[in-house]
Amino acid sequence: MLYLFQVLNGLGLGMIYFLISAGLTIIFGLLNFVNFAHGAFFMLGGYLCWSLTELTGSFWISLLAGPPVVALLAWAAEVTLIRRIYRLPHTFHILVTVGIALILQETTIMIWGPIGKSIPVPDGLQGIVTLWNFAYPTYRLFLIAFTALIGFALWYLLERTRFGGLVRAGSESTEMVALLGTNIHRLFARTFALGVGLAGLAGILSAPIRGIHPFMGPEVLGVAFVVVVIGGMGSFTGALLGGLLVGLVQSLMSTIWPEGASLMIYGTMAAVILLRPYGLFGRA
Amino acid sequence: MNRRTFLKTGLAATSLMMTPPLLRHSLAAEPVTFYGLKSMSGAYASYGEFAEKGSKLAVDDYGLLLGEKPRYVTIDTEGNPGRTVRKVQEAVQQQNARLFGGCTLSSTALAVGKEINKVGGVFMTPAGADEITASECNKATFRWTVPTYGAIQQTVRPLFESNPKAKRWYSITPQYVFGEALLTASKNLFAELGIEHVGNSYHSTQEQEYSGYLTNAAAANPDVLLILGFGGNGASCLRQAANFGMKSKMTILLAWTQGLDWFQSLGPDLLEGVYLGAQYWHQVDAPVNNALVKRTREVYGINPNYPLAGDYIITKIIFDAVAEAGTTDGAAVIKAMEGMQYDGPTGPEMVRAQDHQVIKDYYLLRGKGKAAMKDRDDLATVVSSGKSFPEGDQILCKMS
Repeated sequence: MLYLFQVLNGLGLGMIYFLISAGLTIIFGLLNFVNFAHGAFFMLGGYLCWSLTELTGSFWISLLAGPPVVALLAWAAEVTLIRRIYRLPHTFHILVTVGIALILQETTIMIWGPIGKSIPVPDGLQGIVTLWNFAYPTYRLFLIAFTALIGFALWYLLERTRFGGLVRAGSESTEMVALLGTNIHRLFARTFALGVGLAGLAGILSAPIRGIHPFMGPEVLGVAFVVVVIGGMGSFTGALLGGLLVGLVQSLMSTIWPEGASLMIYGTMAAVILLRPYGLFGRA
Repeated sequence: MNRRTFLKTGLAATSLMMTPPLLRHSLAAEPVTFYGLKSMSGAYASYGEFAEKGSKLAVDDYGLLLGEKPRYVTIDTEGNPGRTVRKVQEAVQQQNARLFGGCTLSSTALAVGKEINKVGGVFMTPAGADEITASECNKATFRWTVPTYGAIQQTVRPLFESNPKAKRWYSITPQYVFGEALLTASKNLFAELGIEHVGNSYHSTQEQEYSGYLTNAAAANPDVLLILGFGGNGASCLRQAANFGMKSKMTILLAWTQGLDWFQSLGPDLLEGVYLGAQYWHQVDAPVNNALVKRTREVYGINPNYPLAGDYIITKIIFDAVAEAGTTDGAAVIKAMEGMQYDGPTGPEMVRAQDHQVIKDYYLLRGKGKAAMKDRDDLATVVSSGKSFPEGDQILCKMS
């Protein structure tokens, strides 16, 4: 029964990891751009959640307003800075985005202070659901359902809309899409804003579970990259399966070999790279 | 006046103007300078900010020391032992620095202590690692913090004695030297008190997700959940334990917490009813503490927390020893510190000569609910306090 519960817990955990890494993989897929500021935008989402919840008394307002604010900031960063380095090697991407992450981290400390903060679980989702002898938080169940909904909406956006078609076409051949009359700069900016907005959304949804502090960005970035590498860089489906796999491994290993639970996440990544160097759904 | 004459006159006039301060400087006594090793940047900046406030307050309030107002210099540790050691070496070589205090990270404190011992300086730290005053002790290094043994004795024992029916305990432990030391001390005490240790989950210090470990704990059906993580580890574990409804099902004890600033980040909803071990609590009624609380409110508009109080008293102890020795010579200051008895923020405190460990109280607190709080920092009440330290053969320090 304990293992069965750990499987359920792992699926829930996997959905959170999917949400964290979805934006990262979308940005890489279309823009071939490695965004090391992803974790910092995740943190920013958490802090906006705290401020808006303090200001309005409602978590739900922060859930609605937070992601667009983060996306807007990302759009501004793309227009002013990031679009100038797309054509440069990945080392420049890393340099610039690590710089953005550090600026965001230090600005957060200046505005909100260096000490972490807690955000209460919203009213109505504070209880637990008891399954056999085990309790599972209602908020985590909500998170699983909400993330599934977001995942479906993203799939629809990327697979069934004109915007999604352009994004997928752009990931195949940017030059061809530009030659066919699409404003590629606008498409890139919107995609970058979408991916980073998802990081902000993940930050907001995770905040009542994990709390917030200025140094949470790099912690999250590590897991997000593991999920993306396992799933395949740029693959939306890969991010979903990668997230679920990482969640399951971490949860089950918490019982089988607790001290190695975190290690085994990276062990899984290494195994996947050995068997499929481009990840489960990645392309050469 | 031609160009050459102008230059000669200018040079002579400048030299003349600079002479009085140089003369005065060479004739006057050098002010005593305290070098504060604080994590002002990096992952432990939240700690360093308060520690810096504590040391500065002690320096500003001290008055004259060896005939001059003492001076304070900050060395940013950046949470990095290697860089801190280099900065300390520079301060020793270029500024003849000898008096040091601070260090958040145990690894930094251990490295710095060895370096300062080599040059015959003095160093006092609030760092957590037991080795500082045990297997890795040295002549230059002193520690204010109660070791893991005392933290467990002063939390697990009184909690168990207040509720002897709570015999089944489950622990969640960060897997590194500090967590292991807390767990070993807990297991020893469990054996002595007849507590059944129904399980333990180790986790990495980088861990953010505790749901798996909490599920293990719930399956063991314990009476008490003992969380041995510190700082972010402890906060995340407690937050997620509350999410999983464990606060209402069992007693939760965090044996080692950072104190007030950490409590503020969690808030009363999470802390209510949770037992918390602490090195310092601002509401303790002790003369030095009352004065410290008053001054901290006047100067900074806040209540003192553990890093502030710890680095305040460390700075003051070193200055008191310099005053008693009448010199900043390391050996003389160390001699004055060994066996020193004084009133500290936790009441009467004493520096044990044998291992350079300060003998002071450790606290068991209980988190208050919002309705019971008198002000925003009234987040916990003191359940018990006392002094527990390894004695006799248990003292592992062989002073070098």
